Amino acid sequence: MNTLLTKVLLLQNTRALLCAASSLQSQVLTTQMPLGVLLTNRQYRSMPTHGIGKYRHLLPKALPKKKKDRVQAKQIKAATATEFGVFNVCVSGYDMTLVEHYSQYIHNLCNHLDIKVDESCALPTKSTEVMVMQEQGTKMYVDAVLKTHERIVQISEMKATLFPIFMEVVLKNQPEGVRLCVKQHTEADYQARFKTRPELEGLLAKIHN
Amino acid sequence: MAAPFTRVYRPLWRIITTTTLNKGVRNVSSTRQQWSAQNVKTAGVASPWALHGAVCLQRLPVVSQDRSPIEDEFMELMHQMELERSLLSDHELRLLEDAARMSRKQEEESDEEEEDYRDKDIFTAQDLEDIWEQKLKQYQPAQRSQGVDEKGVSSSERCLAESLILLVKKDVGSQKLWLLPQIQWQTGETLRQTAERALASLPGADLKATFLGNAPCGFYKYKYPKDIQKEGSVGAKVFFFKALLSGHKHLPLEKNSFAWVKKDELQDFLKPEYLKQVRRFIMAL
Repeated sequence: MNTLLTKVLLLQNTRALLCAASSLQSQVLTTQMPLGVLLTNRQYRSMPTHGIGKYRHLLPKALPKKKKDRVQAKQIKAATATEFGVFNVCVSGYDMTLVEHYSQYIHNLCNHLDIKVDESCALPTKSTEVMVMQEQGTKMYVDAVLKTHERIVQISEMKATLFPIFMEVVLKNQPEGVRLCVKQHTEADYQARFKTRPELEGLLAKIHN
Repeated sequence: MAAPFTRVYRPLWRIITTTTLNKGVRNVSSTRQQWSAQNVKTAGVASPWALHGAVCLQRLPVVSQDRSPIEDEFMELMHQMELERSLLSDHELRLLEDAARMSRKQEEESDEEEEDYRDKDIFTAQDLEDIWEQKLKQYQPAQRSQGVDEKGVSSSERCLAESLILLVKKDVGSQKLWLLPQIQWQTGETLRQTAERALASLPGADLKATFLGNAPCGFYKYKYPKDIQKEGSVGAKVFFFKALLSGHKHLPLEKNSFAWVKKDELQDFLKPEYLKQVRRFIMAL
């Protein structure tokens, strides 16, 4: 108790001394320096409260935002005896709300059953023009424009014993007007998502020819 | 789904029967060279349990289920909200413009020059809408229920909103029982092939089906009655495989030997013990 008290008194003494010293210093300096210069009252390292408000070192390291590098083609895993490889569940149809909700349902089902979903993306919309031939005449005129929407849920490493149950649930909840297709994922499928670059292809053809 | 049958299994003659059970399982999962070698090894030891393969053939629902009253009300509400929040489409804007132009034309009658410039199209928006209404009236959508008697269980077109299971009436021993189609397993074939054979060998019905996987979905074990039990046979074990009916139009099957039933109607047809095991793998969604 006594030692504590003495320590506290000592601390208080030193603090008082330091304060006095700093105030003297500031007085001395302010009288001599011009008024424009600002002098901060910085705490010294041996001060017990040095760096008391610091929190930046506690936050997780935020990496500097790097530019988006080119998307690398992921290695397509092959199927083993007990597991499927990578396969796509394609949902397509004319009604976008139905197609989107159904693909979201499949994705949520996979999350719930702990099935690994690699990607869940949309393919570009395809427009189909329905042309009707006029009764008297040869000219066709546009009757309607139908848009086909397509969504893909890519699944990898699914156990072969779980697959029948998953397929049954998915098929039983398929809405009307929505087409479901389950197929193996190939490199061609992956490349089909990219846009074609006509100038590059033209130049390549010129080089080869 | 492989778990249930290993748990229920309580072998009497543990040493012999486990190997034969494994043989059954291995046949199911893969048809590689190594497993056929194992077949040859254990072929000499016969098990007192006869193996059967059965198929649970399901017809998937064709239409979506009807909404309950609360769901109906909610859907109406959501539609109303969406309508009120939405913006006008091109067609609706044209309708409004035409209506405004007509009213202006009626009030001031000196705007005929402008009309010739603007009315290049033959049809106004209202005319187009009338044409579309006419076309819609000509369109006949398919019926939600095919008008088949709902109580008669022999047609596969009944209850389009739910999934149906095929049952067969078979005489087992002395009595006629309703069962899922099953047939005895023969050496050299996988249990899935047995199930396919069971489906193909149904008299008077050619049903095309897709089997979902190599693993069985359920299991049922029963002992023969005391008088039939011999030295070598105690009872039979049935492994169920799931299949989905493919193809559309099917000929109606014989009333007394075939039935397409929903899950809640199964209890009127199947024996209690059998029903208990079958219910475990049938999903009523």
